Amino acid sequence: MEQIRQTQKKYCSAAIAVAIFAGLLFILAGQKPIGKALILGTIFSIVNFILMGETLPFRIGQSKGKTFFISMGSIYFRYIILAIPLIMSIKLEQFNLFAVIFGIFLVQIVIMADHFFSYISSARRKQF
Amino acid sequence: MGVGAIGAAIGEGYTAAEANLAISRNTKSAGDIFKSMLIGQAIAESASIFALVIAMILLFTKFSATSYVTVCAIFAAGLSMGFGAIGSGIGAGFPAGAACTGMSRQPALSGKLTTNMLIGSAVCQTPSIFALVVSFILIFTDFSGYPVSPGCAAVLGAGLAIGLGAIGSGIGGGVVAESSCNGIARQPLTITPVTNVMLLGQAIAQTPAILGLLISFILIYKGFPATDSIAPSMALLGAGICMGVGAIGPGIGEGIASSGGVKAIARNQEVVGVITRSMLVGMAVAESTAIYSMVIALVMIFVA
Repeated sequence: MEQIRQTQKKYCSAAIAVAIFAGLLFILAGQKPIGKALILGTIFSIVNFILMGETLPFRIGQSKGKTFFISMGSIYFRYIILAIPLIMSIKLEQFNLFAVIFGIFLVQIVIMADHFFSYISSARRKQF
Repeated sequence: MGVGAIGAAIGEGYTAAEANLAISRNTKSAGDIFKSMLIGQAIAESASIFALVIAMILLFTKFSATSYVTVCAIFAAGLSMGFGAIGSGIGAGFPAGAACTGMSRQPALSGKLTTNMLIGSAVCQTPSIFALVVSFILIFTDFSGYPVSPGCAAVLGAGLAIGLGAIGSGIGGGVVAESSCNGIARQPLTITPVTNVMLLGQAIAQTPAILGLLISFILIYKGFPATDSIAPSMALLGAGICMGVGAIGPGIGEGIASSGGVKAIARNQEVVGVITRSMLVGMAVAESTAIYSMVIALVMIFVA
């Protein structure tokens, strides 16, 4: 579980740092709803990612059928949480909907970017 | 949302089940396997998060339904994203599961396997992104000038064409990526040709979904004259169903064909050229049924 915590810490801290930096830039540029929405979406994306890791032990060591139903329950529970910023952005004008959507995917984007850059750098190292 | 979550749940369940087996095979690598499982599942559920986004927009936005076409378009947006998320959710679970199995066999390759899994899973999300794009178009386009008949059938057909059409390509892309992870774990020296052929195979496996996207765009943007007859409406709805259902088999079939090619290259990389050629021929034959579906759909749109 320690390795999972370290992974979560690495990607969540990178995601929130990106969100805060980009959010502040948007707020300073006068795009307050975009900046606030980006940070809001990212916070809920991080909560979802942490909960995903916390529910992993429940899914391990079960039969295939049981794993499927536990996964289904976990998905619905986490999606109820992810729905909160989306509903807020639809109902409140202070939050931009598309920025919230981008924020919700920021953890996934950070994971992809991290592996993409390490792939590129290892390919470059091989070249020289 | 209900339909969209099915794929992610199956994909995540499959990954967890494979992780169980992998940990039982090599308990020392449990940490790496857990990590890979977590990252794989985070990517695998992107498609169902797309579905969640569309569901929330549909639930909580106040639409000014100026015509019945708008009502049908909103319904079609839900169908498009719901069905469109199934294939990507299931497909992205396959490479995540294979990466866990691979790590139990080759713990030293965990980084490379995770990268390969992520590339494969990311490409699997493409069909669901097509479905998301069509859903957004259906939600945010002003259909007030469209005639009720056959406009309602056209937008419903558009939603079904890409929604159903995305299922096969999502699963097919996942089957290829699974073989790639397995192949790298068995023969690490083949990582470059295996990854390249995986990407080629996945790109071709996406074509049925692209044909579905094309039919959706034609149904949305080609103006249809108003009519009292029911036949044109049924033809347009039928065109969407024809393309959507017709793309499921080829998407999966192309994935299986490409998966065979990737497996073979992992075993014998000396004959990459011959294997790739025969794989492409097999995929082209599997693709032909999607093209037949597209031809019939186009006939129904332009002739009927």
